Parts: sequence; structure tokens; C-alpha cells
Amino acid sequence: MTAATIPIRIDHEACTECRMCYVVCREIDLNAVYVAPEPLHRFEIDPGRCQYPGCTACLMYCPAPDSIIEVGSGRSLVPPPPDVWTPDRRVARETA
Amino acid sequence: MPRPNHPLVQQFLDAWVTPTGFSGPGVEFRMRMTARCLPIWNGATARAVKGGEADRGLTGDNWKMERALAGYALEGPQMSIKQMSTQLLSVPMDQQARYIDLQRMRARQIWDEVKHGQLNADVLLRGGRIKKEDELMASVEANAQDNLAYFGLTSMFAHLHPLARAAQNYFVEAIACLGITATLGAVDDPLIRHQMRSQQAEELMHFMEGKFQLDAYCLTPEEQRPVEDAFDFLLKPWATKMNPAFGARREGGA
Repeated sequence: MTAATIPIRIDHEACTECRMCYVVCREIDLNAVYVAPEPLHRFEIDPGRCQYPGCTACLMYCPAPDSIIEVGSGRSLVPPPPDVWTPDRRVARETA
Repeated sequence: MPRPNHPLVQQFLDAWVTPTGFSGPGVEFRMRMTARCLPIWNGATARAVKGGEADRGLTGDNWKMERALAGYALEGPQMSIKQMSTQLLSVPMDQQARYIDLQRMRARQIWDEVKHGQLNADVLLRGGRIKKEDELMASVEANAQDNLAYFGLTSMFAHLHPLARAAQNYFVEAIACLGITATLGAVDDPLIRHQMRSQQAEELMHFMEGKFQLDAYCLTPEEQRPVEDAFDFLLKPWATKMNPAFGARREGGA
């Protein structure tokens, strides 16, 4: 399911590097969020792994307004606009 | 018919509470806990708005110093370095693999609270109340806080399950977020606004820690029960209150 992905990026002016997007992305085994190889340890989003808008899980736990944006449109995704948290995008979490 | 939420609470719900990345029993559990939290969130927010409006009418710096001292007691070294570090111990070694990211979130929260303690010290230093932070070490006001549930420490020792602190993250940190929003809406003082703005997103991160733990980890009755026990404690009328650092007013205070 990679046909219609839209690139998103972290705005480092707004991001607090809290790690929530990284934790969420790891939790669902996408691992699209990674720590950049630079001294500030900032997070970046790998467009080759990220499935946005098919997956929007990280956006639901990001606490820093305007810190994740669509690359093309510049639209802010934090807090998540209603069209990106529709039920079909939620990751099913059932008991083992 | 339920009472309408305070407008600031409704904004908080729409932006940060209702959107969810998961479906399943964890989210259902969180929504049930949210309904229990709402009366307290609404009441605390209304009081914080009132407190902020009262602060706006004050002259002098005493009210700012009272806020900062209370904030230092909440987030200064006694809490943020000494006591809060113990929260990492609630994850035993045999569950470390499952909860490794939970521990990292909590380690991050400890560092955030350390910074917030420094912000409160900055208000006291830049406001001229103290010349050096050393002066705060012997101050009762700067080191003791009487909120039983703040950071969930009192509750933690009675609720040792690795997930129990999710209740604190979710319930108490929401109150901090709402108090900051209420204060920023009412108070013009640049020192107070700086202190609040600097920690606003991090308080929200601590809330998000709780939201994530509830959604992603609290899936079975065995995982939910110890968290609900912690909510039961936090929701007791005597356990949690808005601290002056986040806009509450002392009984009979100015």
C-alpha cells in the first residue's frame, strides 16, 4: 500500500524532539521516523517507509502544534485535521 | 443530558483527546476514563480562568513569586530529580522488553520536569526574589507541595504496575495543559507567559504519553485494572487539585 503516499516532514522550528512520533512509528513496525545522523539528534521521516495518508498514527500523539507538515501543500497536521483521523486509518489493536 | 464542557476543555478534547491512532479495547478504555475525568477537568479549568483573571488585576510581583515557588516545589530538584526518577523502577527487568519505550518516555518526562523547575527558578531570579538558586534549597515553599497525586508519586507507591502511571499522565497532565491555556488567555506578564509558553508543548507531551499508553498497551482486563485503580485514586476529591503554579488560587488568597 504505497501507491498514493504523500510526503510529510518534521518542522524543526516547532518540534520539541519529544520522541512520540518515533515511539508510535516503532510500535506499529513501520520505522519511518528515524534519528538523523547529526549532533542534535533531530527526527526525520523516511518517505520510502512512511505511508501517510494511509497511516496517520504518529499525528495522533504529537504534542507540538505545526511540527509535522505536508511537504507539498505546507498544511499543518498537528493537531490532526479531522480528515486525517477517520476510523479506517486507525491501527487495530486487539488483545493477544 | 450531560452538561456542556468548558470551551477550553472542548477545544482540548477536539484537538488532542478525540483523535486516535488505534482502535480496540485500549481506546475504548481511554474513552471511558475520559468521561470520568471530565468533571474535574471542567472544574479545574473554570477555576484557573478565574485565577488568571484575578492575577491580571494584581499589582506588584508577589503573585508571580507565589506561582514560581509553587512551580519549583512541583518541578524543582526534589520532585523532578529525586522523586520522579523512581518512576522508572515500576518497570521490572522481566518486562523491560515490552515496556522499553515506555521507560524512554518517562526518562524524557523526567528531563522535561528538570527544565520546568529551572524555568520557575528563572522567574524567581529574573524577578529579583532571589539572587542565586541556592537560596531555594532551604525554602519550604520551594520544596514542599501538598498535592497527593502530583506526578502520581503518592499514588505510584500504592500502584506499582508498570502501566499505572498512565493514569497520572492522562488525568493530571491534562489539568496542567488546561491550566496553562487558561493562564495564557488571561495573564499578560512577560515572565509568567515565558515560563508557561516554554513548557506548554512538553506538558502536552506528558499527556500524550498517557494517551498512548492507554490506547496501545491497556488492552486486557489485567492491564486495565491497575490503571483504573490509579484513576480511582486520582479522582478522589482530596487527591488531586490544581496547583497555584498552573493558575489555582489559595483558599482565601488574593
